[in-house]
Parts: sequence; C-alpha cells; structure tokens
Amino acid sequence: MSWLGVDVGGTFTDLVFLDRESGRLQVLKTPSTLNDQSEGILVGIGRLSLEPAGIERIVHGTTIATNTALEGDGARLAVLATEGHRDVLVVGRGNRMAIYNIKAPPNRPLVPRSRCFEVRERLQVDGTTTVPLDEEGVAAIGRHLACAGIEAVAVCFLHSYANPDHERRAAEILSSFLPDAVVTTSSEVLPEYREYERFSTTALNAYVAPRMRRYLGELNTRLMSAGISAPLSIMTSNGGTLPARRVESMPVLSMLSGPAAGVIAASFIGQAANFPDLITCDMGGTSTDVCLVRGGEFGMTTDGRVAAFPVKIRQIDINTVGAGGGSIAAIGSGTFLTVGPRSAKAFPGPACFGRGGAEPTVTDANVLLGRLGTEQLLGGEIGLDREAAEVAVAQLGEKIGLSAEQMAEGILRIVVVSMAGAIKEISVLRGIDPRDFALLSYGGAGPLQAAAIAEELGMRTVVIPPMPGNFSAFGLLVADVRRDFVRTKVRTVDTLSPADIRETLSGLLEEGEEELEAAGFPTARRRFAATLDMRYSGQSFELSVPVAADANDMSKIVKDFEAVYELRYGGTTAAAIEIVSYRLAAWGLSDKPRLPAIDTQGQTIEAATMGARSVVFDGASLPTPIIDRGRMPPERSVAGPAIVEEAGSSTVVPPGWSVKLDQIGCLVLSRHGGRVQ
Amino acid sequence: MIIDPITLEVLTQGLISIVREMRATVCRTASSVAIYDAKDFSCGLFAPDSQVVAQSEDIGAHVVPLPWSVRSAMEKFGADLRPGDVILSNDPYTGGTHLNDVTVIFPVFQDGRLIFFPAVRAHWADVGGMVPGSMSGKATEIYQEGVRIPPVKIQEAGRINQAALDILLSNMRVPEERLGDLQASLASCRVAEKRIHEICARYGVGVLLEAVRLDLDRSEARMRACITGLPDGVYRFEDYLETYIGGNFEPLLLPLALTVAGDRMIADFTGASPQVPFPVNSTAAVAAASVFIAVKSIFDPAAPLNQGSFRPIEVNAPPGSIVNVQRPAPAGSHGEIRKRVIATMVGALSQVVPDLVAGDLCRTSFHNLIGGYDAKRRREWVHYEWSAGGNGAFRENDGPSAMATIDWGDLVTVQSTEVIETRMPLVVETSRLAIDSGGAGTTRGGLSMQRSMRVLAADSRYSLLSDGAVVPAFGVMGGLSGVQVGAWIEAADGAIEGFDTPGKIAGHPMGDGSVVVIRAAGGGGYGDPLLRPPASVQEDVEEGYVSLQAARDLYGVKLDAKGVVDLVTTEALRRRLREARFTLTTVLVDDSYEAGAVSRRRICRLHPSDAAIAGLQADDLVEIDARQAAPLRAWLRIDPSIKAGTLPIDQVGLTILKILPGQRLEVRRIATVILPQELLARAAE
Repeated sequence: MSWLGVDVGGTFTDLVFLDRESGRLQVLKTPSTLNDQSEGILVGIGRLSLEPAGIERIVHGTTIATNTALEGDGARLAVLATEGHRDVLVVGRGNRMAIYNIKAPPNRPLVPRSRCFEVRERLQVDGTTTVPLDEEGVAAIGRHLACAGIEAVAVCFLHSYANPDHERRAAEILSSFLPDAVVTTSSEVLPEYREYERFSTTALNAYVAPRMRRYLGELNTRLMSAGISAPLSIMTSNGGTLPARRVESMPVLSMLSGPAAGVIAASFIGQAANFPDLITCDMGGTSTDVCLVRGGEFGMTTDGRVAAFPVKIRQIDINTVGAGGGSIAAIGSGTFLTVGPRSAKAFPGPACFGRGGAEPTVTDANVLLGRLGTEQLLGGEIGLDREAAEVAVAQLGEKIGLSAEQMAEGILRIVVVSMAGAIKEISVLRGIDPRDFALLSYGGAGPLQAAAIAEELGMRTVVIPPMPGNFSAFGLLVADVRRDFVRTKVRTVDTLSPADIRETLSGLLEEGEEELEAAGFPTARRRFAATLDMRYSGQSFELSVPVAADANDMSKIVKDFEAVYELRYGGTTAAAIEIVSYRLAAWGLSDKPRLPAIDTQGQTIEAATMGARSVVFDGASLPTPIIDRGRMPPERSVAGPAIVEEAGSSTVVPPGWSVKLDQIGCLVLSRHGGRVQ
Repeated sequence: MIIDPITLEVLTQGLISIVREMRATVCRTASSVAIYDAKDFSCGLFAPDSQVVAQSEDIGAHVVPLPWSVRSAMEKFGADLRPGDVILSNDPYTGGTHLNDVTVIFPVFQDGRLIFFPAVRAHWADVGGMVPGSMSGKATEIYQEGVRIPPVKIQEAGRINQAALDILLSNMRVPEERLGDLQASLASCRVAEKRIHEICARYGVGVLLEAVRLDLDRSEARMRACITGLPDGVYRFEDYLETYIGGNFEPLLLPLALTVAGDRMIADFTGASPQVPFPVNSTAAVAAASVFIAVKSIFDPAAPLNQGSFRPIEVNAPPGSIVNVQRPAPAGSHGEIRKRVIATMVGALSQVVPDLVAGDLCRTSFHNLIGGYDAKRRREWVHYEWSAGGNGAFRENDGPSAMATIDWGDLVTVQSTEVIETRMPLVVETSRLAIDSGGAGTTRGGLSMQRSMRVLAADSRYSLLSDGAVVPAFGVMGGLSGVQVGAWIEAADGAIEGFDTPGKIAGHPMGDGSVVVIRAAGGGGYGDPLLRPPASVQEDVEEGYVSLQAARDLYGVKLDAKGVVDLVTTEALRRRLREARFTLTTVLVDDSYEAGAVSRRRICRLHPSDAAIAGLQADDLVEIDARQAAPLRAWLRIDPSIKAGTLPIDQVGLTILKILPGQRLEVRRIATVILPQELLARAAE
C-alpha cells in the first residue's frame, strides 16, 4: 500500500511517493507541462517505480485556480446582482493602487460591467424579504445568457448570508437555461457579510470553476488509464485536503494549494525535529512565501488576495513577496536598484540557463559567487553556464561602478532585505520577535539564502528539512482533510444567550459532520474547533476568539475576547461587544507517514566532502568545502564556510555559521559569531 | 565618506521599513476608530532641518505638509531639545493641516546629536470646538473648530507635561480615547527610536546620515532633470473655490503663476482670494504640500517619496489669503484647497507637458453626513460618507472611476452596503457609477459614484461640506468637463427637492422614508472627444459608461439598432459637430475680471447677438478653450458695446490658452444645476 503526493509548480512538478510497508520515500522532479498539467504528472508517475494498483490515495497541489485568475483566462462569466447594486464588483472599495501616480490606470474588473445584471429582489439585514425575487426577470436573463456563450454565473445578492433563498432560487432558474454552465451563489461560497469581498470570492470561484472541472476530469481519465483508481484529493488553502469533486465546485478553496502544503510539511517537521516555533521561507523562482508557525500552529487569515481581487476564504496566513531565484536585477533612472518583481521565469530563465536570458537574476548572482555549483543540473534538468551569468551581472555592475562580484553580492543583499521585510511583516509588525524562532527554509532557492536572511533578522537557527526541493509535495502526504464553515449574524453580546451561540454552532457542526461523513471518516477521526469573530461596536474588523461548541457562559466569551484584543491592541475599551461571524473548522484526521530512519552507519564528514571550490563571502574569495548531504554523519558539526549539496538544492553555510545533520535528517545551521542584536 | 550603492539601497529600505513598523504600532495601540480602522493617520521620518526622509503607505495629505510643523517646532525649541523631549502640535497657523490632525514629533539623538524626528500625524476623532467631531461647516473662526495646540513639549526629559495634557484633554470630547491616541503615537515613535539606534550600531551613524543625504540628493537630481527638460517661462492657470456669501454664490479665485527657470520651479499664488470667515481656507503648508504632491505624481511617481524631490520647488502663498490662512479665520478646508492647488498645477503644466498630465480630478473630498436620533433603537447616529469621484483621463488611458485621488494614499472610499445597513437606519437603494459623469475626451474622464440612501428614522438631517458643485473638473487638450457634485432629496411621495446652496448644506431635515441621492464629481476628459475611436465609444455604451445620447452629441458616434458603430453617419456627424462649434475672434484687453463681495472672478463679455446664437444668458458659467491645454472658466456678461463676433480677453487668459490676439476661441456653456440622472447627459455638454 502506498501514498502519492503531486505538487505542480510553475517550473517543476514534484512527486513524493511513500511505500507504507517499507516506509521508503521516493522523490522526483520533472518539468511542468503548462498546457495540460496532467501530462507532466503522468510522465512523473511513469518514472517512479510503483505499483499503480497499490496506491491508496493521491493528494495533489495545483496552481490551476491561481494561474487562471492571475492570467485572466478563465470562464466567460456573468454576474447577477441585486437591483441598484450592479457595480459592486466593478468599483470594489474605491481605493488607489499606485499612490502618487496621476496616470494610475483603471482597475480591470474580473467581469465586464455589461455582464453584470440587476434583478429585482431585496433582503433586509436579518434576511427577511422586502422585495420578492423577480423570477420572470431571472428567466429573461437566463434566456439572454444562453445565447451569449456564458460558461459560468455568480449569483451575488445583498444579505444572502442571512438568507440564501433568493440566490438558490435564482441559481435554479438559471441552471435550467444554462445546463452546462457553472452557477455559483455567494451564500454557498462564503456566507459572510461585506458584499464586495463575498462577491469577489464568489466571482473568482465561478471564473476558475469550468477550467478546474475540465482539468480534474482530464487528470482522472489519465490516472485511470494508468491503472490508478485511488481517490484523488486536492490540497486547499486552509492546509487541509478535500476530495477532488468538492474542489470542482469550490475551486476558490485551492488558491494557495502549493504554499499551504509547504506550511503543513513545515509544522510536521518542526514538531518532529523539536522546533515548534518556526518561520517558514519557501523561495521559488518568482516569489517567496513566508509563514509564522508557533507551537506547531500556523495562523489563519481571511484577508487573502489573488491579483487585485480579495478572497475572503479562511486560509493559512502566508505572506508572499515578489522575489525569488529568477528575479531580475535592474537599475532605474537615478541609481535606484531593484531586484524583482520582474522575473525571468522558466523561459528564457536566468542568464545562466543559457536559453537567451540576458538580464541578471538572483540565480546568476549565486552561480557567479560560486554558491551554486555548475557541476550539477538544476532540478536534474538544466545545465548552468557560469560565463553567461558573469556577463549579465557584470554589465549591470558597470552602470554603477561595481565589479561583477560586488554586483552579485549586492543583488543577494537586496533580495535578502526584501525577504527579511516579508518576514518582518508577519512578525515584528505584529509585535512578535523573529529572534525567538528558527527559520525553516525550502523551495529550490531557499537554502542558498536562508542563513543570510536569518542573519539580517538576528535569528540564530536555520533548519533545512530533508528534500527541500520537494518539500511542499511531502506536505501533501501529512495533511488532514479540512473544511472551514462560517455564518454571519451580527449581534451585540448582551442580546445573546449561550443557547443562541450553541444553536448557531450546532448548525455548523451538522454541516461539518455531513462533510466528513461523505469523505468517509468515522466519528473517532473527526475533530472540530469553533471560533467567534468579535469586535467592539463601531469597529469594522474582527478578531478571532476560540469558543467551546457547548459554550454555557457569556461572560467567559467576553473575557476571552478582551484578552485577545488586549494582546493585539494593548488595551480594551468600554464599548459594546459584538459577535459578527461564527466559524467552525472540521478535520478528518488521516494517518501520518513516519519519516524514514536515516541510515548513517559509518559515515564521516571527510568521506562526505566531495571537494572544494572558491566561494565569495563579503568580498573575499574563500576556499569552501562542498559536502554531500546524503553522506553526512548525524550530529557532527562543520564550521562555515561550507556548501551542502544534494539533488535539487544547495545550502550555503557562511563564515560564522556551522552546520550539522540532526537525528531526523534536517540540516541545522547555527550562528556563532557575528553581530549581536 | 563613500557609500556603495548596495548599502545605500539597504539603508533606504531600512528606513522605510521603520516607518512601516511605526504604522503597525499605531494600528495596534490607537483608540480612535478613525485611526486604527479607517487608517486616517500617517507616519514618517524627518531630518532635523525638517526634510521628510522616509514614508511608506502613508497619506500624502498628512506627510507632505508635515515638514512645516517640524520647522515650527525647531524654530521654537531649536537648541533646547534634549533626549526624552516630545513635541505635540496641531496648529494650522504654524504648519498644521486642520485641528483634528494632531502631530507628535519625537527627537532622536545619537551620541548627543539630534539626528532624526520620527513623527506621527493622526486624525483625532474630536479636539473640542462647536460640534462633536470638531469639523463644522459653519465655523467662522478657528476657535469653533477645536483646541489649538502650538508646538509644546508634551514630554520633557522623559516626564509627561501633565499640566498641558490636563488642559488639552479637558477641552476634548471622550478624553480617555484621546489619551489612548496620544500614547499610540508615542509608542510608535519609541519603536522608531529603537530601530534607528540599531541601524546606527550596525552601520555607524555617519554611514546612515550619509546614505540619507545621498538618497535625498538622488531624488533631487531626478526632479531637477525633469524640470530642466521643461522650457523656461511663466505658466499660469486659475481656478475657483465655492462659497455663498450672504446666501449668494461667490467663486473665490485661486490664480497660479508657475515659473520654470533652469532646474527650478516657483509656484506663486499671489492674487488668491482673501481668506473668508467660512471653512474654505487652508494653510501655507497645505498649499505647498499640494504643489509637491502634484509635481511628484506628474514627474516621478515610481521612486519612494522624500524631500529631495521638492528642493527645486519654491511656493509663495500670500498671508491672509485662502491658501495661507491667518488667525482667526477657520482652517478646516484642507481637503478642498489641496485639490484646487493640484488642479492649478495640472492646468499650468498641461501647457508644457501635455503628455504627462491628466484631466482634473474630482474637485472635492465630498464630506456627506447623514444622521439624527433613531427613536426605534433609541440612540444618536451619524453616517459619514466620502464616495470618490472620477479621476482625470490621460493620453494613454481613460481616467479611473470612483477611485481615491492622488492626495489620498490608499484610503477606501466605497463603504459596504451590508455594513451600513447593519449599523444605521439606512437602506442603500442604489450604488452605481453615474452614467455620463466622466468628462468626454479622446480618452474619457473617470465616472463618479452615485448613491441613494433611504432614511428609516424620523428627525434625520443631511449635511454636505464639499466643493465642485458649480465649477466642474476640467478636461485638457480639448477634453470636456466631468459632472459636478450633486445632491438632492427624493421625498417619500417622489417629489425631488434640490438645495439653494449646492455643495454646502447644513443639517437639512429629512422625513422618514425619504431618500438622499449623492453624486461625487466626474473626472476631466483628455483630448477632443470627436477623435475618440468609435469602437471605444461603442464599448462605453455597451458597458453603460456613456449614454446613446452622449455618444451622439458629445462623441459624434452613431450606433445602429444593434449597438454597432455606423461609420458613414458617424463621419458626417463628427464633421457637422466640429463645424457647429461656437467660436469667436479674440481681442486683447487689459482686464477680464470683475470684483465680487470678496474675490475677483473672470468674466466673458459677449455681444447680445453672439449670446443669442450660442444660447447663452447672463451669469452662465462658460468654458473658454483653444483645445491646446486646459480651458478657462468665466461667468457670462452680455454687453452691447462688444463688437459682434469677438471675445475680449486679457493677456493672462491668452497665455493660459496658448494663443495670440486675433486667433479664434471656443466658448461652451457649462450646465450648473444638475439634478436627476436623466439630465446628466445634458450636463456633460
């Protein structure tokens, strides 16, 4: 029996295969096939040695939803809106993206105004009807849309979180005219108040749904024909997995599919390696994702965004910065030096890929400084051309009077500052000191920069997990099934009794039980956690406060809120307290893989040292040993400078740092000297 | 000392990151909802000589004028500052904006030397004065707008100046909340102090200060290069603010003479209307900062903001005028003065760099207040609404619709209907872009937001403190005006009720079930609308941005029954419209102005027969345009002594329009009373 994890990224498709009997893990990287991602997946599966019939489950991290939204090539979409409110999605919140720019271009809405239709209907805040749904009006729009080649419709009515009847009925009528289209309602996607954010989430869901449906259908067919009949699950943004058919209708849940898998893997490894407090740093080709994990728990947020569009789905609180290995360094007018957000992507790629890229990137700087060796193929596929890297970097340096080496170190310093900035946003800016955390770095480019980023933030420990290049795919194998439910009912606490709270929560619990029942989890493997979104009256944002499903004391709820509020804002006020939304997370607990024991019998550092090359640190060329991670003995510390190489990744250990392999196979870097903060 | 470009970049980013941390600290600790929720506050780092060194996602309207407050503080305390001192100030007359913006200036020392001032300017929800919230549309003196705080040491050698604090808080509503806001600003500055010390420990204070010097110098060099590229000369423009003196409409003149000399620029507002005892005035700091915001947004939008960009620019705002208010006149109108100063800059620069400017932005900060006593819920309520208008069109693109303007940072301007209805006895019946509200042009001005709200409580009142209700946002290069701000009441029986003083409404009573409709102003167009590609006009009609009537009458585009451009008819229509433009021959005269009760205004004298041909009447607001830059606005006078077919105009007017005496000019009427939606298309003409 075995499990398979597949994570498709922009450049590479990563596969992790676990044979549950032997505990053996196989990992593999293969180029992504962007026209049809399922093609690359099958190529990868073909290259693994596995018994198709023995696969029990496949968990998939996919970028289909995100890419469709970012590239703007989703469905031909129409929106049904409450009369008078056609423009909610067109104008958004009326804020400005380019602050001091008299030529800021207009925002491009996801759906043109001409495909937003108003329908006579109106609900009040409490869900009571003031204007009944004009069913004939909906039918007329349905008939019109049937002739207009519409592939998806988002039904977005005001106050539908309080009463979904109008939306459901309108969807029913529309579906009768548009049997092949995806028709989504905002009350089903996100029954939470604030119309722009709810409608945006709903419209995005509808926009990406037809493509997700086609893709998952295609993938399923290919898997079947390869003899794999195991159920397919998709990684979702909340760090859980859901059956593929659920994600077909709710693809918006998978916007952070890949990054979420990485965080799940990080918190799993963190527990195993005894680093419960971590900051994760997943550095890929065009962007870097960072996330704070405390006591093994990652934070959640509902403030997500894809391009300019809010996604209010509850998701892991991951901060993304537009800089990675492929980020291009450039000099603007004056001497303003920037690295990213422009990226050389997979094609033409960095100059050192030798595919015609001429502008210097972070990867070129790493190659030029000797941190990334040219003997290995990057990701097992791409040869690296040091000379091409040097030409590109030198040309840029010349413009500001720097040598190629100085320029390369400069590019790395700037990229490190922007990564450190992203980490500050999720730590320092929330009153959390990053020096109390270890930096867990993965992704193709992560281990190259990790020590420098830690140094910039005064952090003393860096952890590079096993298989850093395939780490997110590993997360797919350790994730539980998870679904988040929400209900908005705005009331001040003095008008509520514990029975009211229990009633709303039990409604959510029922939904959760149903979902897990359908996914085949016995009662013993179900877990639930409820929270309340609360605030002081007059505020327009809420804090999440944990609550017991059988709450029986309002004063405890109030006290818990005040404690959370005080922690965040340093004090409380006398204003009335409101409960805005009720949330429930429902988990179906899956078996976890055991990490393979590392076999290090008789290994020595000397034997693991493959040779040396000269690597530039702080302007000085230092002879630096190159160590093969696979042959390192555990618990033997090596002082930097050193480079630890493995398939798919290189870890830089700068002077002042040391590295050792721990008992479960993580590389642990520690800072000794250096400045004290 | 030589600093490599990489360290320069790292330190520059480091300082911006300090400001980010300051912002986060304010959000975490402030007590006013307006601060931590609506983000009506800004942080920045300033040099001892008052220059702004770094900001992040802060509001230009706060940060850019802040150096004047820092300078006033330095003039007052100068060498007398010690570690542990903190300065508090809100005084408009010594560098502030309006009294609600309270500023904490925090000297940071390294090795006994004053190196930076972190500062926080935050909007306190109340600073005393005649009305709750302190901002009154009826103030005739500053004393009615709240407590004035000249620069004072609110903390001295680490000890709070309790006497000063007690006096201040005793004169503000909800004093415990104000104390919380003050502590938030102090905490934020302390964080900055700590981080600055960390940077000094790591890089050395010398390196840090040198990096700041280089960073400011390179911004300065970029701006000087931009200005050097402009032909030397004096470029002029003029615009108006709106008041009702003794109940009668009076436009207040704001003229600009913008001198470009080599790599320097001087913006001179000599001739501006004297200050008035109404909330229409603002301060010299606000006027100058608005010049800077315009220059930054036009010439150098990409780089982070610092004072270097503004060194080549000098601003002259005459004391006692609406742009340099003196005691005791009210100073609450920074939102309007700012937008009008930006407009004059755009108008003047449109004569020089038409490719870099945009049509005028939507004129006003548009403060609407609806409120009263809700008998059902037994509580007082106020809904504050500041819907955005349209932004100006520019050569490459249409202007963004309903989006915060360049002086507003990233402020949210569309409030959630579901949230409003949860909190207020209001139903938002409609919230749509106003069709035809964007100025017509080759590229179209942005549309404005129009919202109608039904009041579900007896004894409610509506107030509006706005501008741009009479004089609309202008287009440039032949682009037309956007639509003005509008507001009216639809009674429960459907009757429509307008206001005698558009844009300035104080506590107008509204019946239970009646609807107030508010429309922000549209942005100005860019270029001749008859040159807009017919396909774009067709698309605008499809999308509902432009009506069929406006497509035909303003753009000369005829759409067939299927909504597709009829090219042949369109071509003929465009020719006819072009020929039908009403033009006159200019004749140079000495003076084109007329004095009102307070201010001068430009007038357009026509022979009665010309007025009749053009369908113009005395007192009409007209636009005089040569389609080579921004147009002039004037009020019509019918005068038989003027020769038929001619238009007398002064040299300033000719300069602004870029023409010579004897050349022809176009005169267009601007509709000034615009009520319901159906009339908008007509208004745009």
